[in-house]
Amino acid sequence: MTAYLTRRILQAIGVLLLVTLIVFGLLTLAPGGAAVDVLGTGSAHKQFLLEYLSWLGRVVHGDLGYSRVRNESVTYLLAASLPRTVALMGISTLLALVVAIPLGLVQATQRGRMVDHLVGGLTYVFYGMPTFVLGALLVLFFAVRKHIFGAEGPQAPGILGVVTDVRDLTLPVLTLALVTIATFARYTRSAALDSLGQEYIEAARARGAGMRRMVGAHVLRNSLVPVVTLVGLSFPQIVGGAVVVESLFNIQGMGWQIWQAVLNRDFPVTLGFTLVIGVAAVVGSLLADLGYAALDPRVRYAQA
Amino acid sequence: MSNWLKPGLGIASAGTVILVGEDGGYHMRAGLAAYRRALAACFAAAGLVALAACGPGSSATTPDGVSPGGAASNSVTYAMLPGGYASYPFPFFAGNYIGDDSTFDVNDFQYQLYRPLYWFGTGTTPYLNPAVSLAELPVYSGHKVTIRLKQNYKWSNGEPVEASNVVFFMNMMKAEGKNWVFYSPTGLPTDVTNVKAASKFVVTMDITTPKFSESWFTNNMLSEITPMPTAWDETGPGKPSHCSTVVADCIAVYNYLNSQAIKSPTTFATSPIWSIVDGPWKIQSLDSQGKLVLTYNTSYGGPVSPHHITTFTELPFTSEQAEYNVLQDPTSNETIDVGYLPTVDAPVPPAGQLVGANPSSMSNYKLSVLYVWQLVYFPYNFNNNTGQGPIFKQLYFRQAFQDLVDQEGVIDGPMHGYGKPEFGPVGTYPVTSYLSPQLASRGDPWTLNIPRTQTILKAHGWLMGPNGIDTCHRPGTAPGDCGAGIPLGTPLKFTLEYATGTDWMESSVREIASNASLAGMQITLHPEPFTDVVNSAFGVNGEGWQMAFWGRWTFAPDYLPTGDTLFQSGAPNNAGQYSDSHNDQLITATLDARAPSLFQSDMYIWQNYLAGQLPVVYQPDPPNLIETIRGLNIGPQNSALDITPEMWFYGQ
Repeated sequence: MTAYLTRRILQAIGVLLLVTLIVFGLLTLAPGGAAVDVLGTGSAHKQFLLEYLSWLGRVVHGDLGYSRVRNESVTYLLAASLPRTVALMGISTLLALVVAIPLGLVQATQRGRMVDHLVGGLTYVFYGMPTFVLGALLVLFFAVRKHIFGAEGPQAPGILGVVTDVRDLTLPVLTLALVTIATFARYTRSAALDSLGQEYIEAARARGAGMRRMVGAHVLRNSLVPVVTLVGLSFPQIVGGAVVVESLFNIQGMGWQIWQAVLNRDFPVTLGFTLVIGVAAVVGSLLADLGYAALDPRVRYAQA
Repeated sequence: MSNWLKPGLGIASAGTVILVGEDGGYHMRAGLAAYRRALAACFAAAGLVALAACGPGSSATTPDGVSPGGAASNSVTYAMLPGGYASYPFPFFAGNYIGDDSTFDVNDFQYQLYRPLYWFGTGTTPYLNPAVSLAELPVYSGHKVTIRLKQNYKWSNGEPVEASNVVFFMNMMKAEGKNWVFYSPTGLPTDVTNVKAASKFVVTMDITTPKFSESWFTNNMLSEITPMPTAWDETGPGKPSHCSTVVADCIAVYNYLNSQAIKSPTTFATSPIWSIVDGPWKIQSLDSQGKLVLTYNTSYGGPVSPHHITTFTELPFTSEQAEYNVLQDPTSNETIDVGYLPTVDAPVPPAGQLVGANPSSMSNYKLSVLYVWQLVYFPYNFNNNTGQGPIFKQLYFRQAFQDLVDQEGVIDGPMHGYGKPEFGPVGTYPVTSYLSPQLASRGDPWTLNIPRTQTILKAHGWLMGPNGIDTCHRPGTAPGDCGAGIPLGTPLKFTLEYATGTDWMESSVREIASNASLAGMQITLHPEPFTDVVNSAFGVNGEGWQMAFWGRWTFAPDYLPTGDTLFQSGAPNNAGQYSDSHNDQLITATLDARAPSLFQSDMYIWQNYLAGQLPVVYQPDPPNLIETIRGLNIGPQNSALDITPEMWFYGQ
C-alpha cells in the first residue's frame, strides 16, 4: 500500500506541474497584456522556461497576481471565495452522499417495487431539472411564500459565519444536493444491483445470511467504488463552485468569481482560479484512487 | 470629452466608464475610448437601476418610518447592480482601476465621500445643481473663468474646502494626464492655463481655446473636477509635498495616493488618506464580499434632510434574480430599502400610467421609473474594410435600415412597456431643454416599415437574388444608383456583434435580423461578452467589424450632449468613424457659441440636421425600475445617477 501511495503521489505531483505549465502557457498566449498583468513588465523579454520557474516560485509562495479589475490580489479573492464555495459544495456533497447511498441501496434491494419506482422517478425529475429552475422554485416556496429559509445564501464574510447560518445556507445546499443525490443514488443503485447478482452473494444467501447483513457486509463496500469515483471527480466542482447556484443565491464563490473574470477579461483571476481548480482535479483523482485501494484490495495488489 | 459607455441595461449612472442596467444593457461614458485604444482593453459595464435598500434587522420598515425591529429608521440599505462593488476611492483615476463598475466606484462610492466641484442632477434632470455644488456658478470674463468656493464646506479633518484643493486636482491632471480617465488632448487640462488660487476661496483659470461656449465649459469641463484635500498632498506618511503649487511634484504624490487606493478595499475604512472626506459620508466598513457601510459625516457642510439617515449600506449582488429574491423576502437578514426590479419581472403599466402594480410579494415597496441621461444606439463602422463601409455611407441605406428597427415592439415586448424610442443624437428622456423642440414634437419618424425599406433599396439599384439577398445591380453615383464604392453584385450581407446578457438587446437584434431578411438583407448575429464588443468598436484594429451593439452611452461627466464626443469627425468615442463636414461645422458652431442662448439655438440646429442623417442605429431607451420601501422618501432620482442619500428620510 505504501509503494502504491508513494507512486500515486509522485504521479500527482507530475500532473500538477503539467497543469501549472499549461496554465502558464495560456497566460503567455493570452491577448491584451495578460502576461504583463500577472508577470510584470519586462516579462516578454525573458526566456519561457526561466519565466515559468519564476512564476512557479511566486505561485508556491501564494502570489497568483493582481486583478486590476477587482483592485485586489488574486490570492485575496481566492481566500474570500474559496472557503465559501468549499463550504457550500462540500456540505451539499456530503448531504448527497448521506442520503443517496442508502436510497440507492434501498432501491436495489427493493428492485421493481413501488419504492424503487418512486425514488427512481424522483431522481429522474431532479436529475433532469436545471438548477436555476429548482433553485427558483425552492426560493419561491420556502423563502418568498413561507419565509422558512432565507432567499439568499449566507453573507457573513467568515467561513464560520457561513456554516453556522443554517437558515440561509439551506436552500443553496438543497438546490445542489437534490441534483447530486439523484446522480449518486442512480450510481449506487446500479452498482448494488451488480453486487447483488454476484455468486458470493448467492452463496451467502444460501447460507442463510439476511439481507441487512449481506448489504452491510458485502454489497455496500462494492457499491461505493463508482460513488468514490464520482466524489473524486466532483472535487473540481467542489472547489470551482456552481456558477448558477452562486449567482442565484448571491454567493460570491469561486464559480461566480471566475465567471465574472472571464466576462471582464480579468486574466490573472481567470488563470489563478483555473490553477486552483486544476489542482483540485488532480487531488480529487488521487483521493479517488486511494479510495479504490482502500475499498478493493485487488486494486492495491494489481498496482503493486 | 467624455462620458460613460455602458451595456444596454435599464439604468445607468453617469461617469465615464461602463455600466450595466437592470434590464441588462451596457453603458459607455466618454473618455474611456481613448483609454481603451491606448490599452486595447475595455471594460464591461452593468446596467444599473436604482438600487438600494436598507435597514439591518429582518423586517421591513413601516410607513411611519419605524421598522418593526425599531432600529432601522436611521439607515438605508441600497442594492448595487449585479457585479457591482466599490474598489477604488481615489477620485483621480485611470480607466483600468474602475473598469466595469464606474457607477459603483464613482457615483455610489467616491461621490459620497468626495463631492465634485459641481454637482449634476436636479430633480430628474441632469442639470447642474447649484445647491449641492461646492462652488458658486462660474463667472466668465473674456477667457478667464472665476470659481468661488462656498465657505460652508469643510474636510473632515477640520480644514476648509479651499481654492488650493481645486488647483491640487488640476495640477494632478497636468502631471498625470495618462492616468486620468477623462484626459483629452483638446480638453482639460490642456485647454486652460494659469490655474491658480486667487484667494483662499477663489480659483481662476484662463481658457486657451479661442472660442468657447460657457455652457459647454461648465457642463463638460468643470464637471470633471473634484477638489482634493491638502492632507493628501504627500508622498508618504508624514512626507508632505507641494503638488498644489508645483506640478512636477504631483507625480510622486499620485504614485503614493494610487498605492493607497489599490490596497485591499477592506483597509479603506481605517486609511488615514481615505478617511478625510468633504462629502456627507465616511467609510465605516467595506468587507471582502463588497458590502459597503457608510456613516454620516457630521462635518459635512452641504444640504441635508433635517431627518436624514445616518447609515447608508450598499449591498453587492451576484445577479438581478438574487436581488429580486431578497426584495421579495421581508424576513431576509438584509432587507433592501432601495432596490431595483428586473425588467423581466416588471408589471406592465396600464394605459396612461408610468408604472404597473407591484406583485403581491412586493406590496411593501413602491415602484418608480428613472430614465438615465443617455443615448441608446449602435454604430455602423464607416471605416470598415470588408466592403460594407461604402454601403453604410449611403444615407438612403441608413434610412432603410432604421426602418427595420421596431422600437415600439421592443418597448412593448421585452421591456414590458417601459422605455422610450430614440431618434436623434440627444436623448429623448428625461425631458430636457437640450432636446430640440422640433425633434421632440416630431417624434420617431423611423417606425418599423419593411415595405419602405424594400422600396428604398429597389429605388437605389438593389435587386433580390435567388437566395433572397439583395445585390447591387446599378453601381454608380447617379441618383438611383447604389452609391460610391459599391461594385456590381455587392450583396447586402452584414455582421452585427452584440453584448449578451440583456434580454431586450437580444430580442431587438434578433428582430432586426429577421426583418432584414424580409427586406433582402442577411445579418449574421455575433453574440459576445460586452468587453469583446467594446474592444471591436474601440479597439486598435477597428476596421473589421461592421456593426457593434454594446448598449448605451451615458452623458457624464460631460453632461451636455453636444456631439463633439460621439459624432464629430475623429472624435475618440465616435466608434464608427462617422464623418460629415456639415455636421462638424454645426458642432463647432455650437461649441463656439459663447452665450448660453446662442449655444442652445445652435445645438438645436445641429441636432435637427444630424437626426436626419442617422449616423447610428437608434435603439429604445430602457429606464431603471426603482423599488423603494414604503415610508422611505428618496425624492426624485436624477438621471445622472448621482445619488444623495443624505437627503433621504423616513416619513412623509
